[in-house]
Amino acid sequence: MAAPPARARADYDYLIKLLLIGDSGVGKSCLLLRFSDGSFTTSFITTIGIDFKIRTIELDGKRIKLQIWDTAGQERFRTITTAYYRGAMGILLVYDVTDESSFNNIRNWIRNIEQHASDNVNKILVGNKADMDESKRAVPTSKGQALADEYGIKFFETSAKTNLNVEEVFFSIGRDIKQRLSDTDSKSEPSTIKINQDQGANAGQAAQKSSCCGS
Amino acid sequence: MKNSGNDSLGAEDRQPKESTISNLDSRFNQTLRNVQGLLKGRSIPGKVLLTRTADVLDSSSVSDKPSNYSRSLSDNDTGTSNHIAKSEEEDLQIINNNSIVNKSKSSTSNTEDLTKEVQKPIMGARATDSARVMKFTTLLSGTTIILDKLRELAWSGIPPYMRPNIWRLLLGYAPPNSDRKEGVLRRKRLEYLDSVAQFYDVPDTERSDDEINMLRQIAVDCPRTVPDVAFFQQAQVQKSLERILYTWAIRHPASGYVQGINDLATPFLVVFLSEYLEGGVEKWSISDLSPDKITNIEADCYWCLSKLLDGMQDHYTFAQPGIQRLVFKLKELVRRIDEPVSRHMEEQGLEFLQFAFRWFNCLLIREIPFHLVTRLWDTYLAEGDSLPDFLVYIFASFLLTWSEELQKLDFQELVMFLQHVPTQNWTHQELEMVLSRAFMWHSMFNNSPRHLVS
Repeated sequence: MAAPPARARADYDYLIKLLLIGDSGVGKSCLLLRFSDGSFTTSFITTIGIDFKIRTIELDGKRIKLQIWDTAGQERFRTITTAYYRGAMGILLVYDVTDESSFNNIRNWIRNIEQHASDNVNKILVGNKADMDESKRAVPTSKGQALADEYGIKFFETSAKTNLNVEEVFFSIGRDIKQRLSDTDSKSEPSTIKINQDQGANAGQAAQKSSCCGS
Repeated sequence: MKNSGNDSLGAEDRQPKESTISNLDSRFNQTLRNVQGLLKGRSIPGKVLLTRTADVLDSSSVSDKPSNYSRSLSDNDTGTSNHIAKSEEEDLQIINNNSIVNKSKSSTSNTEDLTKEVQKPIMGARATDSARVMKFTTLLSGTTIILDKLRELAWSGIPPYMRPNIWRLLLGYAPPNSDRKEGVLRRKRLEYLDSVAQFYDVPDTERSDDEINMLRQIAVDCPRTVPDVAFFQQAQVQKSLERILYTWAIRHPASGYVQGINDLATPFLVVFLSEYLEGGVEKWSISDLSPDKITNIEADCYWCLSKLLDGMQDHYTFAQPGIQRLVFKLKELVRRIDEPVSRHMEEQGLEFLQFAFRWFNCLLIREIPFHLVTRLWDTYLAEGDSLPDFLVYIFASFLLTWSEELQKLDFQELVMFLQHVPTQNWTHQELEMVLSRAFMWHSMFNNSPRHLVS
């Protein structure tokens, strides 16, 4: 479609695209704000359609740029948000430990992933608002862990408010994706996997290419 | 640009008294004059001058175009009906201009200095200057209000204290016949109360699962509505909002409640509350009001929100086809107006949906400071049925405010920039610029299909 941008910048070794999904109000945007800006606010605004943040982290001496898409939880925006599943290399499934229905809906969200995301996309389950008083808790940690085990994915309880496990979640999924990329890397055609500067441009297509190189 | 200006002047000559055409033309010519010089410096709105500044210069220092000045006055807005009021207005306007010039304490010899000094005191003054206030007063004093004239006048901004009445009229909530007004509003307010009793004030056991989910969604969103304005954090305000939104959603099952509609209710709340509460929003307390008054305000918000959304039903139905269509139109329009920006965005892989979806879904409420929103809505409501199409022009104009900046950004920077456009320090001046340019482009492109072919 287009030539790479004139000012190429190799300021990272990998570009990893993540997606946050989950019911409305579970704290997706707060988690992201905590991770990208290190701040927390109770006066948050609803996400409409999609939002976007970045942060570059370092893993095993490699600079990893995380490009994170935040989605609106409401059903009506599904048409807009599912368009971003395809390009995602990792998906964070978020529920609220004080809201049982947000936990029960995780199965629906996983079904969405199966329908719209790449087959080998990495997933991680996140129970947010873990700082809340035990009396308000509606989903015990063990239930969250059991669901994660059932799907064979990792699980964290987090608090965007107290900054509990927020770094850990993003680093964990970042590490797994980097591992997957470098595994594939060594198996075949390294050049198609290494994400370089111009991939930021056509986000969706780039990730799709890298995920289907096995065939 | 020049050509279309001449064309419309020609049309005016042929049919000088035909109201819609001459109104449109005079508005166009006025706007054209405003914008002509401005396009050169379009990415620096701070340098841009508004109509009033141009008028000041015309009347005070630049004496070579007096005819043009008075012509624009008589052509604009007033039409043919009220000669006395018109000449009074001219006097008033000149006095007004002089006083502004005097206030700016400048030697009128150096126009550039004058321009700079005058700019500040008159920012946002258009809606409140006495000539315009007088036109509004005259227009509203009749027993039957001519809505077309009101729309034209309101388009450029409504004086704040007249806004509640005029918004009710523009939206077709209050009847243009003033004799019927009290009766109609009383009936509508009762109807709202009935709906609240019937749909909202019922136990959850009488609600369907979908209704429970919708109510829960609304309850989650109300505390997250305009969170940076403290007034909206008052529990009573949030309850009012919840009743309005839920009642609307139940009565509009094709869309139901969609996030962002909560934002759209807030300008109405602020405007209708301003009839009863003094000073700025940040100092208001809703508990100063009697329950009766609160109910009336809520009802007015409900009906006005309904009227507004009636004009864009498919923006909020499944898959939101109305918004998708407008985002596509916006992309096309930007391509025609500013090919370099358009090409750059495409090369970077930026999709208009990635930023403009929210613009359409929330009508730009989130993109500009809240104190400018009601002024923006004056224009929205004046557009009436044509609003959805006109939004495309406003948003193109808004986007291209940063034409030069955008071309320097890569994909990621573009997304970040456009999701948080730097309008925090905007005043009325920047907003007027966006609207004037939108109007001009609309006149150029919408009425001349040839322009659409690139």
